[in-house]
Amino acid sequence: MPKGIVANVLGFLAERFPIEKADFHSMVTKKTVPVHRMSWAYYAGGLTLFFFLIQVVTGLMLLFYYQPTVSDAHASVEYITRHVPGGALVRNMHAWSSSCMIFCVLIHFVTTLAMKAFGRPRELTWISGVLLLLVTFVFGFTGYLLPWHQIAVNATKVGLQSIELVGAYLPGELAKLPTTVRETIQGEAAVGQSTLSRFYALHVIILPLLVFGVLGIHLFSVQLHGMSPGVDSAPKRVEKFLPFFVIKDLGAWGVAFLVLFTAALLVPFESFFSFPLFAPYDALGSTPEGIKPEWYFYFVYYPLELLPFWSVALGQTVVMGVIFAAPWLFKHSSRRTTAVLASFIAVYMVGMTLFGHAIYEFFKGGQG
Amino acid sequence: MTEQVLYVGLPYVAIVLFIGGTAWRYAAQRYSISSLSSQFLEDRWLGVGSLPWHLGILVVLAGHLVAFAFPTVWRSVLSVPVFLHTVEIVGLAAAVACALGIGTLLVRRVLRGRLQPVTTWLDYLVLVLLLAEVSLGILTATAHRWGALWSTGTIMPFVKSLLTLQPKLELVSELPPLARAHLVVAFVLFGIAPFTRLIHAVFVPLQYLFRAPQRVVWSSERRKQAVDAEPGGDPDLARRHLIEGVVGATAAAALLGVGVADKVAGYFVQPALTKVDKKNLLTERHLRVMMTAEERALELERLSNDFILISPYSELSKKNGRYFIDYEMRPALAFLGDDGIPIVLSAKCTHLGCTVGKDVDDQGRILCPCHVSHFDVRSGHPNQSAPAKAPLPKLPWAARDAAGKVVGAMGIDGKYVGSRDTALLSRCNVYAAKSALTEVT
Repeated sequence: MPKGIVANVLGFLAERFPIEKADFHSMVTKKTVPVHRMSWAYYAGGLTLFFFLIQVVTGLMLLFYYQPTVSDAHASVEYITRHVPGGALVRNMHAWSSSCMIFCVLIHFVTTLAMKAFGRPRELTWISGVLLLLVTFVFGFTGYLLPWHQIAVNATKVGLQSIELVGAYLPGELAKLPTTVRETIQGEAAVGQSTLSRFYALHVIILPLLVFGVLGIHLFSVQLHGMSPGVDSAPKRVEKFLPFFVIKDLGAWGVAFLVLFTAALLVPFESFFSFPLFAPYDALGSTPEGIKPEWYFYFVYYPLELLPFWSVALGQTVVMGVIFAAPWLFKHSSRRTTAVLASFIAVYMVGMTLFGHAIYEFFKGGQG
Repeated sequence: MTEQVLYVGLPYVAIVLFIGGTAWRYAAQRYSISSLSSQFLEDRWLGVGSLPWHLGILVVLAGHLVAFAFPTVWRSVLSVPVFLHTVEIVGLAAAVACALGIGTLLVRRVLRGRLQPVTTWLDYLVLVLLLAEVSLGILTATAHRWGALWSTGTIMPFVKSLLTLQPKLELVSELPPLARAHLVVAFVLFGIAPFTRLIHAVFVPLQYLFRAPQRVVWSSERRKQAVDAEPGGDPDLARRHLIEGVVGATAAAALLGVGVADKVAGYFVQPALTKVDKKNLLTERHLRVMMTAEERALELERLSNDFILISPYSELSKKNGRYFIDYEMRPALAFLGDDGIPIVLSAKCTHLGCTVGKDVDDQGRILCPCHVSHFDVRSGHPNQSAPAKAPLPKLPWAARDAAGKVVGAMGIDGKYVGSRDTALLSRCNVYAAKSALTEVT
């Protein structure tokens, strides 16, 4: 029945990408945005895009001075911070904006889940969004290594090493696979120049290209299908996308920029860490205390610290599966159900991020 | 004669008119006491004019009142230059706000046709006189600097002398013409106040501040906008909103651009470094390159040599480990055992690969700082509750004397072969050994 399958696939795609609607009138002029209690959530995606654009601009600026070699990376970053006019500002903006981007993309993720924005025909919008979410995390992970200071390299080591933990649960020859995977990512037996080069290539070229592609599909389908209603009962009012929503969105961008710019001017992002963590990485010395991933990895970092590895790995796999399959799993669920689910995720994420360390101390503090 | 009319006759007439007129107005036309708001007829210009005028005049009047009531205190306070400057600047700014405000209100009365039917000639007179009064004040303040200070010795005593019924004309005659004109217009304003809308300044409805709030809903701007934003809304309004939005966004982007450019413009320019900075920078970079070179050398050495020097036996310690890099280019530690035989083990934590610390605690353990695993130095085993489960691997090593002869060696099997004579060993160097070669002994 290959003919039937092909026809089905084509039919599926035709419904998801109704090309006959792909004109300015349907995609922009005619588009409306529902007005209801959850309308604020419609800004989260736009803000994520805004912070991504900031990342692109500030990232390109950093490229003018950054040198991706183990001997020069840290020195070049220090040069940017200390000597280049406005360099500290640009670097701060890149760092703060990365956190803001992750924050917004998480809000976007949780709210779209709560509003069941993935209903037919928006499944592929959701899938592309989940891919973008993952790419954003990989952006964070790869970018963290580039300054080549103590916390960067050691946190990367810890992060990559956890891949190897899977090996203990694989039978026979397969047990060596995770090590091979880790060394392939690293490019050598230990985190070194090859790792830096690879992460640099990922962070600066490969991931941005990937984002441009997936983001294109994501935005295209959002405009094609219009905003998801977001509530179970048909919204009482809608407003026109152009100019009303767009201008409000731009206003939100303006406020976000002011806040980000001010924060970047006034608060160096390193101010939350102790200094030795920002000393250049010393391959021959001991690891300083306080090695931690960025705050947005706490939700998986602390469980890894506390629970047996297999439970975390299993949980992660299940959660990722559910997230990817959400459009089909929750096809017939009401928005109340998805909202409750989203609230659980939100509470877990916020709780782990804010109180992860306290929870860790509570369970593990007395030991050792 | 003229002076006596203007500065003695006029003020007393004004005072009598003010008090008598106010009493008459209150008694005879109580419900006409009002500022006669014209907000319903026109509210845009009113907002632009009325707000700065009222806010400004409150500040200006407060300044005049303080100088009049407490001239001595005020003078001593103003003897501090910073304070004097502040008072003058704030006063002048408030006065300019007044002038702009009252000017706007005057122009509004003239240009907005809707208002004309409700505007009397007295209204025009009040507006013109107020504008004149404020302008004269500004001119006096700018032409004769530090009026806040000198008025306490001239105008204020004169006004006081008027009120105590002993007018001192000599105080006025020394005043500059601008200040004198300011006084005259003030008297006129006082005199006519009870018969105009100015009366509302005397009867300020302070109770409004304390009564329960009342809301007058005329038409909510937000509600109107929300309706217009719907698809069926007024297309003209949508177009206007778009144009306003584009203009606003462009202006905002331009402003932001200026601010950003101010901070970032120099980014692409070659930074100008002082000689000291340059020197420090180069020193630092040189150091880093040397560190990398050293690492490369270590790697090369490990590829080509069968033995790698850890340290002379005599420099090993029981409490303080000695770091070296093993054949896998990973950190490793060497200690002196209690029996005088060196202990050589990997320093790469078996949990997540951090480098284990080199200081031995009271229980003979070394600590991995990342996730708090304590490893026993002798066995390499972690403590029970540590996240690390596997022991730190022991590494093969050899002790060789000056001639290069192997005196003692530890194999991968963890068995020591060779001399246990510490005197002999202390003349040796301790080497890490390529594992295959440890059987040599």
